[in-house]
Amino acid sequence: MLRYNLDQSLLLKLMSEVQRRKYSQEEKNTIFDGEFMPHIDSMYNFAYRLTFDEDDAKDLVQDTYLKAYRFINSFEQGTNAKAWLFRILKNSFINEYRKKSKQPTKVDYQEVETYYNSDDVDYQSTTDLRAESVKDMLGDEISNALNSLAVDFRTVIILCDLEGFTYEEMAKILDIPIGTVRSRLHRARNLLKDKLRGYAQNMGYNTDGEEEEAEF
Amino acid sequence: MPKTWATIRTEKKKRQNFKEELPMEMNTESAGERKLQCSDVTKCFELLESILDGDMTQGGKAIMDDKLAKCQPCFEHYHLEQAIREVLKTKCTKQVVPSELSNSIRQKIQDIK
Repeated sequence: MLRYNLDQSLLLKLMSEVQRRKYSQEEKNTIFDGEFMPHIDSMYNFAYRLTFDEDDAKDLVQDTYLKAYRFINSFEQGTNAKAWLFRILKNSFINEYRKKSKQPTKVDYQEVETYYNSDDVDYQSTTDLRAESVKDMLGDEISNALNSLAVDFRTVIILCDLEGFTYEEMAKILDIPIGTVRSRLHRARNLLKDKLRGYAQNMGYNTDGEEEEAEF
Repeated sequence: MPKTWATIRTEKKKRQNFKEELPMEMNTESAGERKLQCSDVTKCFELLESILDGDMTQGGKAIMDDKLAKCQPCFEHYHLEQAIREVLKTKCTKQVVPSELSNSIRQKIQDIK
């Protein structure tokens, strides 16, 4: 219910927060081809990592582009099209795809509850996972670790590390305060580290921060 | 006044320029010269992570250099966090976009014009 309302308010915002323009058909085509379509790779990648399904990802990207075209008058030419599109995609996902997603996201509610209760973050020194071990990991291990995170944590890592958005852009895309972006990102990376630590231990990487004694 | 996408983009560029100036190989001093306990892990790590995410103003750099030279936990945390960001960026392969998707979108747009 809350999610649905968010989408309505997004559309209202899209229509009202920017001065309403009236682009000619030619201008619309120029914006769409020149500023929207170049982001299709990133959009599809984001959609796929949200839905884990090729058809759902295609539908989601297509829906996003149709919405973008429909509301093109509320987009200011030459501004941050990628962030604008990502925001629409994220909201479309929440409203239309999350429920029917073929692979529902596993959510540890206690984890989420604990993590969402405040913006205060516990920063702790991690001595049992080494930068060298992380660098040695395979793409599949990194990718699986990312995919295993709850959607909200996965999202901030995709936006920040894969797509290079700033905290401020993420705050706008996700409709949350910058402080929440920062803390959610930190928690997401901590959860990711837990996963990577597990892989490192299974693979026999050195994870205790000390040189291991040779055994004879 | 609320920031527009345009101002955010300009500020982002500034930050990216700043980010590029950061020397990536910080220092190679031995751990023995750094203190082994960090007196304010929360503040330090938050700062380091903000810098790695490109979200820190010019003042942060000097403080960071100092931390990395003098504090072993900060040094290790920085390099672990940096490694994680690097592998995410370089090893999470992009999904191949289905070839028909662009055309399908253009076709749908034609239909609603």
